[in-house]
Amino acid sequence: MAAVLEPYIYEGGIHKHSLILELLEDLGGYLVQKTSASTEVTLVMLIPKKDVHLVEDLCKKLLGKLTSAPLTGTEVAVVSPTLASHHLPHSACDIAEYLRRGGANTNMIGLARGMGRRVALSADYERRLINEHDVAVFSFGTFKDCIINKKPKLFEGIEIPIVVTGGPNIRTEEISGADIYVGGIGRIAHRMRKGSELDAMDVLNEKVGEIVNLKRENIAKDPLAVLPARLMKEVQEQVPDILNVLTPAPITLQLDGMRIKLPYDRYHEAVGNIEFDEGFLLSDAANILPSKMKDYILVKIKRRSEVVNI
Amino acid sequence: MEPLEIFTVETTEPSEAAAYESILKDIISELAFSRTIGRIKVRIRPEDSLFMMVILLRRGLPPIKAGEISDTEFDREHAKVVITVRDEKTIPQFLDRLWEQFGRQNVIQPERNIIEVASDLETVDKFIAELIVDDPEKTIRERLADMAIRATPEGFRIRYHSLDSGKFVFVASEDTMQQDWIDEANVMLKELEGDDS
Repeated sequence: MAAVLEPYIYEGGIHKHSLILELLEDLGGYLVQKTSASTEVTLVMLIPKKDVHLVEDLCKKLLGKLTSAPLTGTEVAVVSPTLASHHLPHSACDIAEYLRRGGANTNMIGLARGMGRRVALSADYERRLINEHDVAVFSFGTFKDCIINKKPKLFEGIEIPIVVTGGPNIRTEEISGADIYVGGIGRIAHRMRKGSELDAMDVLNEKVGEIVNLKRENIAKDPLAVLPARLMKEVQEQVPDILNVLTPAPITLQLDGMRIKLPYDRYHEAVGNIEFDEGFLLSDAANILPSKMKDYILVKIKRRSEVVNI
Repeated sequence: MEPLEIFTVETTEPSEAAAYESILKDIISELAFSRTIGRIKVRIRPEDSLFMMVILLRRGLPPIKAGEISDTEFDREHAKVVITVRDEKTIPQFLDRLWEQFGRQNVIQPERNIIEVASDLETVDKFIAELIVDDPEKTIRERLADMAIRATPEGFRIRYHSLDSGKFVFVASEDTMQQDWIDEANVMLKELEGDDS
């Protein structure tokens, strides 16, 4: 039985942070993402539940801060009707930033023609790109009438859970197709920093967390053939070219797979040939697909019930 | 008229007006418009895809004439006109206009507030007498259009606007423009003018 892993974020000085990485490796945890900015470092980690206190003690010693990050290992699409100044940078970027604080990897997606009421629509390519994520957060505006009557057509063809944000207070049931609605985050032309705005963002993180937990529970019923975090480590060891990729998250974990930011044409075979200690190859345990995002590789891990001989 | 002495936002759902007012306030302050606008009234009916905005501008600044901010004298020795500019802020626009008229090679700026033009005094004086270096009203008009576009919900791309002696009327929708809406906006303008009209 694999250890239960808990997601945490460490924020602290870069000095001696490698001690944390060593301890994490000894405990059998995983480093999901490391971001260093001058003398500061942010580590997103999965730590075995029973050993969290050991890491906590070490973090205290290093004068850093260890916080729980329930959205770790998820990739969230923050969708705004367009990329115009009406929606960006506030509030869509603020939403994305707040979700990242919860540990999620976020992608901003601005639809080409999502603005307006009657004229709003989404393209097939956009829907497929959104469907590659774990959760989609749609950031809408101020008017109840638009959110209830006009904007839900943008949800057509979206198969992942949909979180909707907007200004007015509306019950989720009133918006067809939405899984959860969070009010108080409508169209805004300043950076969100007032108490009520930040409270609404906390609610958003909490609700997205709930949806992620539901999805995790669903996966736990018929578990994945291999843990995404474990696969990540294998990719780093067996496809070393990933270490030369300069994007902030060369491997982006998802609840049921990952996005590997290497060109599909050149690397999908190498990724498929990743070998596990148990003797099977990744191509037996996962679907390796070309991603709609650039020419990246999308890996969707199969469930145990689908792979009989592993 | 005091700056922003009337600021009204009307929406079908009254609770949504405050949220839109906050957006407008942010845009107004971002474009440094708060001292220019005297009264503003906005009416939004999302169910009709309709956005209306009327603005009464406060009296703006007069245009800056080149003759009023500079002195000219003729330098006989070097056969050129020396212009001494007293208002430093307008020098970039001043230079642009001189370059346009006399050619780049004939206009140089040896010091911060001195411009030399290789020409005769009479021609330069004649040109400067009629030259308007900067027109604050014009920049206000441009910024006003920018403000209207920023304030409108993004999908409302069918627009009507008119600016007549400091009275700005703006109507936007995503459907075909209707004369009724323009008339309604003009009624709003009359209401906004109140006793002053």
